[in-house]
Amino acid sequence: MFIGQDITRVDALDKVLGTAAFAHDLKKNNMLFASVVRSSRPHAVIRKIDVSAALAIEGVVKILSHEDIPGENLFGAIKKDQPFLAEGRVRYKGEAILVVVAATEETAHKASDLVRIDYEDLEYVSDPFLSIQSPVLIHDGGNLLSHRKVIKGDAAKGFESSDVIVENTYSTTWIDHAYMETEAGIGYADEKGRIVVASSTQNIHYKMKEISRLLAIPTEHVRVVQATTGGGFGGKLDVTVEGYLALAVWHTKRPVFMRYTREESLLAQTKRHPLYIVYKTGARKDGSLTAVEVNIVGDTGPYNSYGETVCLRAAVHATGPYEVPNVLVNSRMFYTNNPISGAMRGFGVPQLALAHESQLDEIAERIGMDPLDIRMKNALKRGSLTATSQVLNHSAGLLETLKAVEPFWRERHKRGPGSGFGLGCMYYGIGNTGISNPSSCYLTLTPEGRVEMHSGVCDIGQGSDTVLLQILCDALGMEEMGIDLVRGDTDTSYDTGSTSASRQTYISGMAVCDAAQKLKKYLKHQGYYDGKSLKDIYRNAAASAIPVFEGHFDPPTTAPDPETSQGAPYATYAFATHMTQVDVDEVTGVCKIVKVHAAHDVGRAINVSSVRGQIYGGVAMGIGFALMEEFIPGKSESFDNYYLPTSMDMPDVEVMIIEDREPTGPFGAKGVGEPALIPQAAAIVNAIKDATGVSMRQLPCDMERLKVALEKSKEKGR
Amino acid sequence: MLPKFASVIPRTKDEALSWLSSLENPKIIAGGTDLMVKMRAGKHCSHVIDVAGIPELMGVTEEDAKISIGAAMTHARLSAEGTIVRNARSLALACGLIGSPQIRNMGTIGGNLANASPAADSIPPLLIHDAILTLESQGLRRKVALEEAIVAPYVTSIDRKELLSSVEINPLRGYREGYRRVAKRATWAISRLGVAFAIKEDGNRFIDVRLAIGSCTPMPFRPGKVENLLAGSEKNDAVIAEAIRVALEEIKFISGIRPSYAYKLPVLKGILEEVLRG
Repeated sequence: MFIGQDITRVDALDKVLGTAAFAHDLKKNNMLFASVVRSSRPHAVIRKIDVSAALAIEGVVKILSHEDIPGENLFGAIKKDQPFLAEGRVRYKGEAILVVVAATEETAHKASDLVRIDYEDLEYVSDPFLSIQSPVLIHDGGNLLSHRKVIKGDAAKGFESSDVIVENTYSTTWIDHAYMETEAGIGYADEKGRIVVASSTQNIHYKMKEISRLLAIPTEHVRVVQATTGGGFGGKLDVTVEGYLALAVWHTKRPVFMRYTREESLLAQTKRHPLYIVYKTGARKDGSLTAVEVNIVGDTGPYNSYGETVCLRAAVHATGPYEVPNVLVNSRMFYTNNPISGAMRGFGVPQLALAHESQLDEIAERIGMDPLDIRMKNALKRGSLTATSQVLNHSAGLLETLKAVEPFWRERHKRGPGSGFGLGCMYYGIGNTGISNPSSCYLTLTPEGRVEMHSGVCDIGQGSDTVLLQILCDALGMEEMGIDLVRGDTDTSYDTGSTSASRQTYISGMAVCDAAQKLKKYLKHQGYYDGKSLKDIYRNAAASAIPVFEGHFDPPTTAPDPETSQGAPYATYAFATHMTQVDVDEVTGVCKIVKVHAAHDVGRAINVSSVRGQIYGGVAMGIGFALMEEFIPGKSESFDNYYLPTSMDMPDVEVMIIEDREPTGPFGAKGVGEPALIPQAAAIVNAIKDATGVSMRQLPCDMERLKVALEKSKEKGR
Repeated sequence: MLPKFASVIPRTKDEALSWLSSLENPKIIAGGTDLMVKMRAGKHCSHVIDVAGIPELMGVTEEDAKISIGAAMTHARLSAEGTIVRNARSLALACGLIGSPQIRNMGTIGGNLANASPAADSIPPLLIHDAILTLESQGLRRKVALEEAIVAPYVTSIDRKELLSSVEINPLRGYREGYRRVAKRATWAISRLGVAFAIKEDGNRFIDVRLAIGSCTPMPFRPGKVENLLAGSEKNDAVIAEAIRVALEEIKFISGIRPSYAYKLPVLKGILEEVLRG
């Protein structure tokens, strides 16, 4: 048995010893270095580009513009609307305009600084609320990117039958992924003349396709390899360095390396979407929810990236993990000339969790009910109908997570002024929303008598390599881990989809199970389970041909109804409850997180340490989201003025794993990557309310906002 | 990326002074925790003179009721130095809160003073201990009060041929002394507000109150009017309230009204209340 055990991660030793080759470590003989020239304007027409001073520097090899792109200049995971290199117009500060290729990294940067660009500034849109009526069109189709609705029952009638109605506005801001490793990679031409790119990435097959379009060459002429990757959180789903590297190799025929500085990563790469949420909740005196009406306005910046995804996912998760008979959600995503917002751990759901959890606490307060009791009363459970009227037929362990924290909640006691406790719950659909998002893998045997697993899954630090190996071992009934993993290379693997949406354990894990069933049947036939060695089986088979066993899985979902979003957008959901204890210093506004109890229904914990690791990381990121992280365009230039929590800000975290097994998942597993973060900020805000009586509805509620709010509430009290 | 520069590593103070007088455009480096950041952002110098290992700039000595601190003493060493902990508790506390362990192990008190940030944690404690800087150049040596040495944010009256060699402070005994700071996170953060205090009191009467406030005005400062008002006053709510009112007036007189004061002044009020009440 490997599942449920604390197997040491297969990548641990290389990382601890410092021998793992991260993208930043990649080198080749004779390699050149690339650097990107970026826009200093939020919205402008490019009048003239003068590269003469840059070209005059010794060591500058080439300066590439959009005119040097042989194929299509537009890319995008959902919609192809973002240029690799600007064509006559820039739509945000930090947009790529040119790529400078030089003999050294220093020369490339120096030459980039010497490029002179004459701009004609255009009026720009910085407020999503003004975007719709603005005469400034960011794209020809208008400034509304997406409008999604969720309609279930009759919200107006629901409010009529309510005893209490609470309505508030919530807002969140841009958050940076702040992965340890900034975007980086190397490109080169192989012996067959194909373009090869190795980079820090969450998805190799998608990037292969984008490079093929960029260079107008068949995908067979492109190979993308995942370097050891220092974190992703959604920020490495979009094309980052890969396009520039491929283009530079195409033109120079030499290996090219590039990496973003931290400042460049902060300036140019995607952020978490700022969402503005007007939230109305109705309930009866007994605490049962009657209706929810939500209006969401989002700022996607100048390009789609994952804006449509966030718009829809935020809408379908807007009620939180509760049974609400009447639901009306309007979710709108607008283009602006602000930084690009994209995918980031939770796709809009952490923002909504702030709102639905605060609302629930306020309802509870108004009717005199305990916050835990109101959650238990309304919790989704097996047989419940979600906001999209999906029946939860299988794993739905929210109540078990609530019961896990219950003893700690009932026995909580405030240790003095400023001490408080808060709850946050969440549910999260595993995998992409209402679309096919399959995964595949294949297995074969080696002469050494080992099983070889070929997988395109990108392990970005979350531990999928180890999890997939554990699943395969148990699926084959192996006693020792006799498996070689070949992964993260488009030449040797099938498309597994991106490492995102907490989907790899569930979806790619099932693809592994599917392949394993076929191999197991073969091995049984060959006598493996009667004691014949894999070496002998290989030797016998080699006379004919070594068979290959393919596995596939695509979670069963239905497309959301275009008008009402009703349907079954996900095959399964994860559930969680976080209880958080805070100490607020009312003199300074400093909030210290003292303790977190985090209970997660993960279906089945394949690797217990990895599940715990995800939850610790989610708590840390949630503390940053709640209390300090705030990207301010034009001001947040480096980690000097973008504050992330440190180890000293971390509380003691008690993880409680609930295993309500998911019958459609590998050995019952679901996912935990994003769920770990989602309820944390909400729990903190509720604890601050409990400690101080102040409701913080704008994130981050850093010490300054909190102190000012405390002062205001004192004035009111007088 | 760092601009090109050369470095010299003198073994003695005299050698350092001689380099300082002869080189074209040198910068003195000790821990480098401020200078390296500026150089990486493009600030150019021909040479750096590394004074971190010069024995004459190290150590803490007590003589004639004065304490002399070598300018190359790191924050980490000062925070744990017995003489400082006993005689200048606020300084030991402040040095222990600067940046992160790495920054405290590299950064020095001389560098913190010469950088003259409005948020420098070591400055408010030094102000309440009437710090005097010793500045040396080839053949010359002068002493200047810390209050006069800092002339504007990030600007000092230290000549570019001068080396800050030591800081002399008055020990304070029989005082209730400390340092309160507010920062955006638990560690590795720049102070949003810092208050050094040393209070001598007798029953319910203030005898001597020394306060210095950092990260609030262009330079950390001692609210002299407040100190005068409190000296010899009875210790009661009315006196404390009046002292705080005067302190806030002094700040507004120095800086006018700043947007950050919506946060800082109420916090300062709360901290001063706690500090004065004890």
